[in-house]
Amino acid sequence: MRNRVSAIAILPLSLLGLAACGGANAPSGSNTPTPNAAHLGPGATLALACSGCHSELNGAIASLSAYSETQLQDTLARYKTETDGTTVMHRLARGYSDEDIALVSAYLGHEETAP
Amino acid sequence: MSDLINRRLLLQSGLLGTALTALPLPAYSQARASIMIVGGGFGGATAARTLKRLLPNAQITLVETNPIFTSCPFSNLVIGGERDLSAQQFRYEALEREGITVANVPATDVDADGKNITLDGDSVYAYDRLILAPGIDIRWNVIEGYDADAANILPHAWKAGPQTLLLRRQLEALDPGQNVVMTVPAAPYRCPPGPYERASLIAHYLKAQKPGSKLIILDAKDQFSKMALFQEAWDAHYSDQIEWRGASEDGAVRRVDTGTQTVFSDFESLSARVINVIPPQKAGWIADRAGVADATGWCPIDPLSFASRLQPDIHVIGDATIAAPMPKSAFSANLQAKVCAIAVARDLAGQTPRPTTLANTCYSYTTPDEAISIAGVYSNAASQLQSVTGAGGVSPPNADKAVRTAEAEQAAHWFETITKEAFG
Repeated sequence: MRNRVSAIAILPLSLLGLAACGGANAPSGSNTPTPNAAHLGPGATLALACSGCHSELNGAIASLSAYSETQLQDTLARYKTETDGTTVMHRLARGYSDEDIALVSAYLGHEETAP
Repeated sequence: MSDLINRRLLLQSGLLGTALTALPLPAYSQARASIMIVGGGFGGATAARTLKRLLPNAQITLVETNPIFTSCPFSNLVIGGERDLSAQQFRYEALEREGITVANVPATDVDADGKNITLDGDSVYAYDRLILAPGIDIRWNVIEGYDADAANILPHAWKAGPQTLLLRRQLEALDPGQNVVMTVPAAPYRCPPGPYERASLIAHYLKAQKPGSKLIILDAKDQFSKMALFQEAWDAHYSDQIEWRGASEDGAVRRVDTGTQTVFSDFESLSARVINVIPPQKAGWIADRAGVADATGWCPIDPLSFASRLQPDIHVIGDATIAAPMPKSAFSANLQAKVCAIAVARDLAGQTPRPTTLANTCYSYTTPDEAISIAGVYSNAASQLQSVTGAGGVSPPNADKAVRTAEAEQAAHWFETITKEAFG
Protein backbone atom coordinates (compact mmCIF):
# COMPACT_ATOMS: atom_id res chain seq x y z
CA MET A 1 0.00 0.00 0.00
CA ARG A 2 1.40 3.35 -0.90
CA ASN A 3 0.19 6.64 0.42
CA ARG A 4 2.61 6.95 3.24
CA VAL A 5 2.83 10.60 4.09
CA SER A 6 6.44 11.58 4.12
CA ALA A 7 7.75 12.05 7.61
CA ILE A 8 9.29 15.35 6.68
CA ALA A 9 6.33 16.94 5.01
CA ILE A 10 7.55 18.31 1.74
CA LEU A 11 11.20 18.80 1.56
CA PRO A 12 12.66 21.72 3.06
CA LEU A 13 14.02 23.31 -0.01
CA SER A 14 14.06 26.88 0.95
CA LEU A 15 15.57 30.08 0.24
CA LEU A 16 15.60 30.06 -3.30
CA GLY A 17 18.50 31.26 -4.98
CA LEU A 18 18.06 34.94 -5.23
CA ALA A 19 16.72 35.38 -1.77
CA ALA A 20 20.23 34.70 -0.64
CA CYS A 21 21.51 37.68 -2.54
CA GLY A 22 20.50 40.23 0.01
CA GLY A 23 17.91 42.96 -0.01
CA ALA A 24 17.14 44.59 -3.29
CA ASN A 25 18.26 47.98 -2.15
CA ALA A 26 21.18 46.84 -0.14
CA PRO A 27 24.13 48.96 -1.12
CA SER A 28 27.27 47.11 -2.05
CA GLY A 29 29.24 46.26 1.00
CA SER A 30 26.35 46.20 3.46
CA ASN A 31 25.37 43.18 5.50
CA THR A 32 25.00 40.87 2.58
CA PRO A 33 26.37 37.40 2.01
CA THR A 34 29.97 36.67 1.28
CA PRO A 35 30.67 36.91 -2.42
CA ASN A 36 30.24 33.54 -3.97
CA ALA A 37 30.43 32.86 -7.65
CA ALA A 38 28.01 29.99 -7.11
CA HIS A 39 25.24 32.56 -6.79
CA LEU A 40 25.20 32.76 -10.53
CA GLY A 41 26.17 29.21 -11.28
CA PRO A 42 24.06 26.26 -12.38
CA GLY A 43 23.11 25.44 -8.79
CA ALA A 44 21.57 28.87 -8.35
CA THR A 45 19.62 28.54 -11.55
CA LEU A 46 18.32 25.08 -10.66
CA ALA A 47 17.28 26.45 -7.28
CA LEU A 48 14.98 28.97 -8.94
CA ALA A 49 12.41 26.19 -9.07
CA CYS A 50 12.44 25.82 -5.28
CA SER A 51 11.52 29.30 -4.10
CA GLY A 52 7.97 29.27 -5.45
CA CYS A 53 7.13 26.91 -2.57
CA HIS A 54 10.01 27.11 -0.09
CA SER A 55 10.75 30.31 1.79
CA GLU A 56 12.03 31.16 5.24
CA LEU A 57 8.48 30.43 6.38
CA ASN A 58 8.37 27.00 8.01
CA GLY A 59 5.12 25.08 7.92
CA ALA A 60 3.37 22.54 5.73
CA ILE A 61 6.23 23.11 3.32
CA ALA A 62 9.53 23.21 5.14
CA SER A 63 11.93 26.09 5.14
CA LEU A 64 15.25 25.02 3.71
CA SER A 65 17.29 27.57 5.53
CA ALA A 66 18.23 25.29 8.40
CA TYR A 67 19.47 22.53 6.13
CA SER A 68 23.09 21.80 5.44
CA GLU A 69 24.32 20.78 2.05
CA THR A 70 24.60 17.15 3.17
CA GLN A 71 21.10 17.12 4.65
CA LEU A 72 19.63 18.55 1.48
CA GLN A 73 21.49 16.12 -0.71
CA ASP A 74 20.43 13.13 1.39
CA THR A 75 16.82 14.26 1.53
CA LEU A 76 16.57 14.92 -2.19
CA ALA A 77 18.21 11.58 -2.95
CA ARG A 78 15.66 9.88 -0.71
CA TYR A 79 12.79 11.60 -2.47
CA LYS A 80 14.21 10.49 -5.76
CA THR A 81 14.43 6.83 -4.81
CA GLU A 82 11.43 6.30 -2.51
CA THR A 83 8.87 4.44 -4.55
CA ASP A 84 5.93 4.83 -2.18
CA GLY A 85 6.14 8.58 -1.65
CA THR A 86 3.04 10.73 -1.90
CA THR A 87 4.34 14.28 -2.14
CA VAL A 88 5.14 16.46 -5.12
CA MET A 89 8.81 16.32 -4.09
CA HIS A 90 8.92 12.59 -4.85
CA ARG A 91 7.65 13.28 -8.36
CA LEU A 92 9.89 16.33 -8.86
CA ALA A 93 13.13 14.84 -7.50
CA ARG A 94 13.03 12.08 -10.12
CA GLY A 95 13.61 14.76 -12.75
CA TYR A 96 17.01 15.74 -11.40
CA SER A 97 20.33 13.96 -11.92
CA ASP A 98 22.60 13.18 -8.98
CA GLU A 99 24.82 16.00 -10.24
CA ASP A 100 21.87 18.43 -10.27
CA ILE A 101 21.03 17.42 -6.71
CA ALA A 102 24.63 17.98 -5.65
CA LEU A 103 24.71 21.41 -7.28
CA VAL A 104 21.43 22.63 -5.85
CA SER A 105 22.29 21.27 -2.40
CA ALA A 106 25.64 23.01 -2.45
CA TYR A 107 23.92 26.24 -3.40
CA LEU A 108 21.08 26.08 -0.88
CA GLY A 109 22.88 24.34 1.97
CA HIS A 110 23.30 26.75 4.83
CA GLU A 111 27.08 26.67 4.98
CA GLU A 112 27.10 28.35 1.60
CA THR A 113 24.30 30.85 1.92
CA ALA A 114 23.86 31.82 5.55
CA PRO A 115 24.25 35.56 5.99
CA MET B 1 29.37 30.82 -18.26
CA SER B 2 31.83 28.97 -16.10
CA ASP B 3 32.30 30.09 -12.56
CA LEU B 4 35.84 30.99 -13.53
CA ILE B 5 34.66 33.52 -16.07
CA ASN B 6 32.06 34.63 -13.60
CA ARG B 7 34.83 35.33 -11.14
CA ARG B 8 36.81 37.24 -13.74
CA LEU B 9 33.81 39.44 -14.45
CA LEU B 10 33.49 40.09 -10.76
CA LEU B 11 37.11 41.21 -10.65
CA GLN B 12 36.65 43.43 -13.66
CA SER B 13 33.62 45.06 -12.21
CA GLY B 14 35.27 45.60 -8.87
CA LEU B 15 32.57 43.76 -7.01
CA LEU B 16 34.66 40.99 -5.58
CA GLY B 17 35.38 41.64 -1.96
CA THR B 18 32.24 43.67 -1.52
CA ALA B 19 28.86 42.05 -1.69
CA LEU B 20 27.49 40.04 -4.50
CA THR B 21 23.98 41.34 -4.56
CA ALA B 22 23.60 41.31 -8.30
CA LEU B 23 24.87 39.98 -11.51
CA PRO B 24 28.29 41.46 -12.16
CA LEU B 25 27.75 43.79 -15.08
CA PRO B 26 30.96 45.11 -16.59
CA ALA B 27 31.11 48.84 -16.09
CA TYR B 28 31.05 49.49 -19.80
CA SER B 29 27.75 47.78 -20.33
CA GLN B 30 24.27 49.12 -19.78
CA ALA B 31 24.47 49.24 -16.06
CA ARG B 32 21.56 51.67 -16.10
CA ALA B 33 19.57 49.78 -18.71
CA SER B 34 15.88 50.53 -18.99
CA ILE B 35 13.80 47.39 -18.65
CA MET B 36 10.05 47.55 -19.17
CA ILE B 37 7.78 44.77 -17.98
CA VAL B 38 4.15 44.70 -19.05
CA GLY B 39 1.73 42.83 -16.82
CA GLY B 40 1.75 42.68 -13.02
CA GLY B 41 0.70 39.11 -12.34
CA PHE B 42 2.78 36.24 -11.00
CA GLY B 43 5.12 36.44 -14.00
CA GLY B 44 5.55 40.20 -14.40
CA ALA B 45 5.87 41.04 -10.71
CA THR B 46 8.38 38.24 -10.14
CA ALA B 47 10.40 39.34 -13.18
CA ALA B 48 10.51 42.93 -11.92
CA ARG B 49 11.68 41.95 -8.44
CA THR B 50 14.25 39.45 -9.72
CA LEU B 51 15.72 41.93 -12.18
CA LYS B 52 15.94 44.62 -9.53
CA ARG B 53 18.02 42.22 -7.45
CA LEU B 54 20.19 41.25 -10.38
CA LEU B 55 20.58 44.77 -11.76
CA PRO B 56 20.22 47.23 -8.89
CA ASN B 57 21.19 50.16 -11.10
CA ALA B 58 18.77 49.39 -13.90
CA GLN B 59 15.56 51.34 -14.37
CA ILE B 60 12.87 48.69 -13.91
CA THR B 61 9.33 49.72 -14.84
CA LEU B 62 6.31 47.51 -14.29
CA VAL B 63 3.35 48.55 -16.43
CA GLU B 64 0.07 47.28 -15.01
CA THR B 65 -3.31 48.97 -15.44
CA ASN B 66 -4.76 47.75 -12.17
CA PRO B 67 -3.22 49.03 -8.91
CA ILE B 68 -4.53 45.92 -7.16
CA PHE B 69 -3.72 42.42 -8.38
CA THR B 70 -6.37 39.75 -7.81
CA SER B 71 -5.02 36.22 -7.89
CA CYS B 72 -6.73 33.50 -9.90
CA PRO B 73 -5.11 30.74 -7.85
CA PHE B 74 -7.35 30.14 -4.82
CA SER B 75 -10.19 32.19 -6.35
CA ASN B 76 -12.20 28.99 -6.74
CA LEU B 77 -12.37 28.93 -2.94
CA VAL B 78 -14.00 32.37 -3.12
CA ILE B 79 -16.54 31.05 -5.62
CA GLY B 80 -17.22 28.12 -3.30
CA GLY B 81 -17.83 30.49 -0.37
CA GLU B 82 -14.75 29.41 1.57
CA ARG B 83 -12.60 32.51 1.21
CA ASP B 84 -12.90 36.27 1.00
CA LEU B 85 -11.82 37.97 -2.21
CA SER B 86 -9.62 40.34 -0.20
CA ALA B 87 -7.37 37.36 0.61
CA GLN B 88 -6.70 37.20 -3.13
CA GLN B 89 -5.60 40.79 -3.51
CA PHE B 90 -2.11 42.25 -3.56
CA ARG B 91 -0.68 45.70 -4.13
CA TYR B 92 2.65 46.72 -5.59
CA GLU B 93 3.94 48.78 -2.67
CA ALA B 94 6.75 46.34 -1.89
CA LEU B 95 7.97 46.61 -5.46
CA GLU B 96 7.94 50.40 -5.27
CA ARG B 97 9.87 50.31 -2.01
CA GLU B 98 12.51 48.26 -3.79
CA GLY B 99 12.93 50.96 -6.41
CA ILE B 100 10.76 49.50 -9.15
CA THR B 101 8.62 52.06 -10.96
CA VAL B 102 5.02 50.86 -11.12
CA ALA B 103 2.99 52.58 -13.82
CA ASN B 104 -0.75 52.00 -13.42
CA VAL B 105 -1.56 52.78 -17.02
CA PRO B 106 -2.33 50.57 -20.00
CA ALA B 107 0.41 49.66 -22.48
CA THR B 108 -1.20 50.53 -25.78
CA ASP B 109 1.45 49.88 -28.41
CA VAL B 110 4.90 48.38 -28.91
CA ASP B 111 7.35 49.24 -31.66
CA ALA B 112 9.65 46.22 -31.61
CA ASP B 113 12.05 47.58 -34.24
CA GLY B 114 12.33 51.00 -32.60
CA LYS B 115 12.45 49.45 -29.10
CA ASN B 116 9.84 51.74 -27.67
CA ILE B 117 6.51 51.29 -25.96
CA THR B 118 3.46 53.52 -25.84
CA LEU B 119 1.69 53.90 -22.54
CA ASP B 120 -1.82 55.22 -22.13
CA GLY B 121 -2.16 56.06 -25.82
CA ASP B 122 0.31 58.93 -26.14
CA SER B 123 3.45 58.57 -24.02
CA VAL B 124 6.29 56.83 -25.84
CA TYR B 125 9.18 55.38 -23.86
CA ALA B 126 12.38 53.80 -25.17
CA TYR B 127 13.52 50.57 -23.54
CA ASP B 128 16.61 48.43 -23.68
CA ARG B 129 14.73 45.23 -22.91
CA LEU B 130 11.00 44.49 -22.88
CA ILE B 131 9.34 41.60 -21.07
CA LEU B 132 5.68 40.93 -21.78
CA ALA B 133 3.70 39.05 -19.14
CA PRO B 134 0.23 39.88 -20.43
CA GLY B 135 -1.65 36.82 -19.23
CA ILE B 136 -4.75 35.91 -21.17
CA ASP B 137 -7.56 37.60 -23.00
CA ILE B 138 -10.90 36.04 -23.80
CA ARG B 139 -11.65 35.10 -27.41
CA TRP B 140 -15.05 36.74 -27.60
CA ASN B 141 -17.68 35.33 -29.96
CA VAL B 142 -15.82 32.09 -30.68
CA ILE B 143 -18.74 30.69 -28.72
CA GLU B 144 -21.45 32.48 -30.67
CA GLY B 145 -23.14 35.13 -28.56
CA TYR B 146 -20.48 35.13 -25.87
CA ASP B 147 -19.11 38.69 -25.84
CA ALA B 148 -18.10 41.12 -23.11
CA ASP B 149 -21.74 42.03 -22.41
CA ALA B 150 -22.74 38.39 -22.18
CA ALA B 151 -20.02 37.89 -19.57
CA ASN B 152 -21.96 40.22 -17.27
CA ILE B 153 -24.82 37.71 -17.31
CA LEU B 154 -22.96 34.43 -17.82
CA PRO B 155 -19.67 35.06 -15.96
CA HIS B 156 -16.42 33.44 -17.00
CA ALA B 157 -14.60 34.27 -13.76
CA TRP B 158 -11.38 33.26 -15.55
CA LYS B 159 -9.82 36.59 -14.65
CA ALA B 160 -10.22 37.03 -10.91
CA GLY B 161 -11.98 40.08 -9.46
CA PRO B 162 -15.50 41.35 -10.21
CA GLN B 163 -16.21 38.27 -12.32
CA THR B 164 -15.35 36.05 -9.34
CA LEU B 165 -17.80 37.92 -7.12
CA LEU B 166 -20.50 37.90 -9.80
CA LEU B 167 -20.40 34.12 -10.06
CA ARG B 168 -20.35 33.82 -6.28
CA ARG B 169 -23.43 36.05 -5.91
CA GLN B 170 -25.28 34.13 -8.58
CA LEU B 171 -24.61 30.87 -6.73
CA GLU B 172 -25.83 32.39 -3.47
CA ALA B 173 -29.04 33.56 -5.16
CA LEU B 174 -29.77 30.12 -6.57
CA ASP B 175 -32.97 28.48 -5.33
CA PRO B 176 -32.46 24.94 -4.04
CA GLY B 177 -33.11 22.51 -6.86
CA GLN B 178 -32.04 24.92 -9.59
CA ASN B 179 -29.06 23.82 -11.65
CA VAL B 180 -25.71 25.31 -12.57
CA VAL B 181 -23.98 24.81 -15.92
CA MET B 182 -20.23 25.18 -16.53
CA THR B 183 -18.73 25.10 -20.00
CA VAL B 184 -15.06 24.19 -20.43
CA PRO B 185 -12.93 24.85 -23.53
CA ALA B 186 -10.44 22.71 -25.40
CA ALA B 187 -6.76 23.12 -24.51
CA PRO B 188 -4.75 25.27 -24.32
CA TYR B 189 -6.18 27.57 -21.69
CA ARG B 190 -5.10 29.13 -18.38
CA CYS B 191 -4.86 26.62 -15.51
CA PRO B 192 -5.71 23.22 -17.03
CA PRO B 193 -7.14 21.69 -13.82
CA GLY B 194 -8.86 24.94 -12.77
CA PRO B 195 -12.35 24.16 -14.13
CA TYR B 196 -12.47 20.87 -12.26
CA GLU B 197 -11.28 22.37 -8.98
CA ARG B 198 -13.99 24.98 -9.43
CA ALA B 199 -16.56 22.28 -10.17
CA SER B 200 -15.56 20.48 -6.98
CA LEU B 201 -15.92 23.56 -4.81
CA ILE B 202 -19.22 24.63 -6.41
CA ALA B 203 -20.51 21.10 -5.85
CA HIS B 204 -19.38 21.28 -2.24
CA TYR B 205 -21.41 24.47 -1.81
CA LEU B 206 -24.47 23.06 -3.55
CA LYS B 207 -24.37 19.92 -1.46
CA ALA B 208 -24.31 21.93 1.75
CA GLN B 209 -26.59 24.86 0.86
CA LYS B 210 -28.74 24.06 -2.17
CA PRO B 211 -30.31 20.62 -1.80
CA GLY B 212 -31.43 19.18 -5.11
CA SER B 213 -29.21 21.50 -7.16
CA LYS B 214 -26.75 20.01 -9.61
CA LEU B 215 -23.71 21.18 -11.61
CA ILE B 216 -23.61 20.04 -15.22
CA ILE B 217 -20.18 20.38 -16.86
CA LEU B 218 -20.17 20.61 -20.65
CA ASP B 219 -16.60 19.97 -21.76
CA ALA B 220 -15.07 20.43 -25.22
CA LYS B 221 -12.67 17.55 -24.57
CA ASP B 222 -12.79 13.95 -23.39
CA GLN B 223 -9.74 13.94 -21.13
CA PHE B 224 -8.64 16.50 -18.58
CA SER B 225 -5.91 17.24 -16.06
CA LYS B 226 -5.93 14.98 -12.97
CA MET B 227 -9.09 13.40 -14.42
CA ALA B 228 -8.98 10.12 -12.50
CA LEU B 229 -8.32 11.92 -9.22
CA PHE B 230 -11.11 14.44 -9.72
CA GLN B 231 -13.53 11.68 -10.69
CA GLU B 232 -12.51 9.72 -7.62
CA ALA B 233 -13.32 12.76 -5.47
CA TRP B 234 -16.56 13.43 -7.30
CA ASP B 235 -17.68 9.81 -6.83
CA ALA B 236 -16.83 10.02 -3.14
CA HIS B 237 -18.36 13.42 -2.40
CA TYR B 238 -20.53 14.76 -5.19
CA SER B 239 -22.23 11.85 -6.97
CA ASP B 240 -25.56 13.69 -6.62
CA GLN B 241 -24.13 17.09 -7.53
CA ILE B 242 -21.81 16.73 -10.55
CA GLU B 243 -22.62 15.49 -14.02
CA TRP B 244 -19.76 15.73 -16.55
CA ARG B 245 -20.24 15.42 -20.32
CA GLY B 246 -17.17 15.29 -22.55
CA ALA B 247 -16.81 16.10 -26.23
CA SER B 248 -17.99 12.67 -27.34
CA GLU B 249 -21.18 13.21 -25.34
CA ASP B 250 -21.90 16.44 -27.20
CA GLY B 251 -20.21 18.50 -24.49
CA ALA B 252 -18.69 21.18 -26.76
CA VAL B 253 -20.76 24.36 -26.47
CA ARG B 254 -21.13 26.37 -29.70
CA ARG B 255 -23.56 29.14 -28.81
CA VAL B 256 -25.10 30.90 -25.83
CA ASP B 257 -28.26 32.92 -25.43
CA THR B 258 -28.24 35.31 -22.51
CA GLY B 259 -31.97 36.14 -22.73
CA THR B 260 -33.11 32.59 -22.08
CA GLN B 261 -29.98 31.56 -20.12
CA THR B 262 -29.31 28.74 -22.57
CA VAL B 263 -26.22 27.06 -24.00
CA PHE B 264 -26.26 25.14 -27.25
CA SER B 265 -24.04 22.25 -28.31
CA ASP B 266 -24.22 20.57 -31.72
CA PHE B 267 -27.37 18.62 -30.97
CA GLU B 268 -28.76 19.84 -27.67
CA SER B 269 -29.53 22.89 -25.61
CA LEU B 270 -29.51 23.35 -21.87
CA SER B 271 -30.92 26.18 -19.75
CA ALA B 272 -29.86 26.97 -16.20
CA ARG B 273 -30.21 29.70 -13.60
CA VAL B 274 -26.41 30.04 -13.33
CA ILE B 275 -24.10 29.50 -16.30
CA ASN B 276 -20.32 29.76 -15.93
CA VAL B 277 -18.83 29.98 -19.41
CA ILE B 278 -15.09 29.30 -19.36
CA PRO B 279 -14.38 30.51 -22.88
CA PRO B 280 -11.53 29.93 -25.33
CA GLN B 281 -8.56 32.21 -24.67
CA LYS B 282 -5.48 33.76 -26.22
CA ALA B 283 -2.44 35.76 -25.11
CA GLY B 284 -3.20 39.16 -23.62
CA TRP B 285 -3.95 41.86 -26.17
CA ILE B 286 -0.60 43.65 -26.12
CA ALA B 287 1.13 40.46 -27.34
CA ASP B 288 -0.69 40.76 -30.63
CA ARG B 289 0.11 44.44 -30.82
CA ALA B 290 3.81 43.73 -30.25
CA GLY B 291 3.86 41.06 -32.93
CA VAL B 292 4.84 38.23 -30.58
CA ALA B 293 1.63 36.16 -30.91
CA ASP B 294 1.31 33.72 -33.81
CA ALA B 295 -1.79 32.46 -35.64
CA THR B 296 -2.76 30.38 -32.61
CA GLY B 297 -3.12 33.54 -30.53
CA TRP B 298 -0.29 32.43 -28.23
CA CYS B 299 3.40 33.38 -28.17
CA PRO B 300 6.18 31.05 -29.35
CA ILE B 301 9.36 31.45 -27.28
CA ASP B 302 12.93 30.23 -27.06
CA PRO B 303 12.78 28.28 -23.79
CA LEU B 304 16.39 29.12 -22.88
CA SER B 305 15.66 32.83 -22.47
CA PHE B 306 11.91 33.21 -23.10
CA ALA B 307 12.80 35.49 -26.00
CA SER B 308 10.02 35.68 -28.56
CA ARG B 309 10.52 33.54 -31.67
CA LEU B 310 8.87 36.32 -33.67
CA GLN B 311 10.52 39.39 -32.11
CA PRO B 312 13.77 38.18 -30.53
CA ASP B 313 14.34 41.44 -28.65
CA ILE B 314 11.10 40.97 -26.70
CA HIS B 315 10.70 38.34 -23.99
CA VAL B 316 7.38 36.72 -23.17
CA ILE B 317 6.58 34.76 -20.00
CA GLY B 318 3.61 33.12 -18.33
CA ASP B 319 0.18 32.12 -19.60
CA ALA B 320 0.68 33.97 -22.90
CA THR B 321 3.50 31.67 -24.02
CA ILE B 322 3.53 28.43 -25.95
CA ALA B 323 5.54 26.52 -23.37
CA ALA B 324 3.78 23.15 -23.39
CA PRO B 325 4.34 20.67 -21.82
CA MET B 326 4.86 23.30 -19.12
CA PRO B 327 1.29 24.36 -18.23
CA LYS B 328 -0.21 27.84 -18.00
CA SER B 329 0.02 28.16 -14.23
CA ALA B 330 1.11 30.71 -11.65
CA PHE B 331 3.99 28.44 -10.67
CA SER B 332 5.15 28.29 -14.30
CA ALA B 333 4.86 32.06 -14.75
CA ASN B 334 6.81 32.72 -11.57
CA LEU B 335 9.64 30.34 -12.53
CA GLN B 336 9.74 31.45 -16.15
CA ALA B 337 10.05 35.02 -14.85
CA LYS B 338 13.14 34.13 -12.83
CA VAL B 339 14.77 32.18 -15.67
CA CYS B 340 13.97 35.03 -18.07
CA ALA B 341 15.33 37.64 -15.66
CA ILE B 342 18.66 35.84 -15.43
CA ALA B 343 18.77 35.50 -19.23
CA VAL B 344 18.09 39.24 -19.62
CA ALA B 345 20.76 40.15 -17.08
CA ARG B 346 23.27 37.85 -18.75
CA ASP B 347 22.37 39.24 -22.14
CA LEU B 348 23.04 42.77 -20.93
CA ALA B 349 26.46 41.54 -19.83
CA GLY B 350 27.10 39.98 -23.24
CA GLN B 351 26.55 36.41 -22.06
CA THR B 352 24.37 33.79 -23.67
CA PRO B 353 21.65 32.00 -21.70
CA ARG B 354 22.45 28.63 -20.21
CA PRO B 355 20.26 25.51 -20.20
CA THR B 356 18.63 24.52 -16.93
CA THR B 357 15.82 22.44 -15.51
CA LEU B 358 12.40 23.94 -14.81
CA ALA B 359 9.51 22.51 -12.86
CA ASN B 360 5.86 23.04 -12.11
CA THR B 361 3.53 22.14 -9.28
CA CYS B 362 -0.23 22.73 -9.25
CA TYR B 363 -2.48 21.86 -6.35
CA SER B 364 -6.25 21.61 -6.76
CA TYR B 365 -8.79 21.49 -3.95
CA THR B 366 -11.42 18.76 -4.18
CA THR B 367 -13.05 19.78 -0.91
CA PRO B 368 -12.20 22.80 1.25
CA ASP B 369 -9.70 20.68 3.21
CA GLU B 370 -8.49 18.13 0.68
CA ALA B 371 -6.32 18.66 -2.38
CA ILE B 372 -4.59 16.76 -5.18
CA SER B 373 -1.54 17.79 -7.17
CA ILE B 374 0.26 17.48 -10.46
CA ALA B 375 3.98 18.09 -10.89
CA GLY B 376 6.31 18.20 -13.87
CA VAL B 377 10.01 18.68 -14.58
CA TYR B 378 11.17 20.23 -17.84
CA SER B 379 14.42 20.71 -19.72
CA ASN B 380 14.93 23.86 -21.78
CA ALA B 381 18.05 22.58 -23.54
CA ALA B 382 16.29 21.79 -26.84
CA SER B 383 14.31 24.12 -29.09
CA GLN B 384 11.16 23.48 -27.07
CA LEU B 385 10.55 22.69 -23.43
CA GLN B 386 10.55 18.94 -22.88
CA SER B 387 9.27 16.85 -20.00
CA VAL B 388 12.04 14.99 -18.21
CA THR B 389 11.32 11.29 -18.64
CA GLY B 390 10.37 9.46 -15.49
CA ALA B 391 9.58 12.57 -13.48
CA GLY B 392 6.36 14.33 -12.62
CA GLY B 393 2.85 12.99 -12.33
CA VAL B 394 -0.18 13.26 -10.09
CA SER B 395 -1.00 12.39 -6.49
CA PRO B 396 -1.51 8.69 -5.80
CA PRO B 397 -5.05 7.40 -6.46
CA ASN B 398 -7.23 6.07 -3.65
CA ALA B 399 -4.95 7.63 -1.07
CA ASP B 400 -5.66 7.99 2.62
CA LYS B 401 -7.45 11.17 3.58
CA ALA B 402 -4.25 12.23 5.37
CA VAL B 403 -2.49 12.45 2.00
CA ARG B 404 -5.24 14.71 0.65
CA THR B 405 -5.36 16.95 3.72
CA ALA B 406 -1.55 17.22 3.71
CA GLU B 407 -1.66 18.45 0.12
CA ALA B 408 -4.38 20.97 1.04
CA GLU B 409 -2.08 22.36 3.71
CA GLN B 410 0.84 22.42 1.30
CA ALA B 411 -1.34 24.24 -1.23
CA ALA B 412 -2.12 26.97 1.30
CA HIS B 413 1.55 27.28 2.15
CA TRP B 414 2.44 27.45 -1.54
CA PHE B 415 0.00 30.31 -2.06
CA GLU B 416 1.49 32.24 0.82
CA THR B 417 5.04 31.69 -0.43
CA ILE B 418 4.54 32.41 -4.10
CA THR B 419 2.49 35.56 -3.51
CA LYS B 420 5.19 36.77 -1.15
CA GLU B 421 7.88 36.11 -3.72
CA ALA B 422 5.90 37.94 -6.41
CA PHE B 423 4.36 40.82 -4.44
CA GLY B 424 6.33 41.05 -1.19
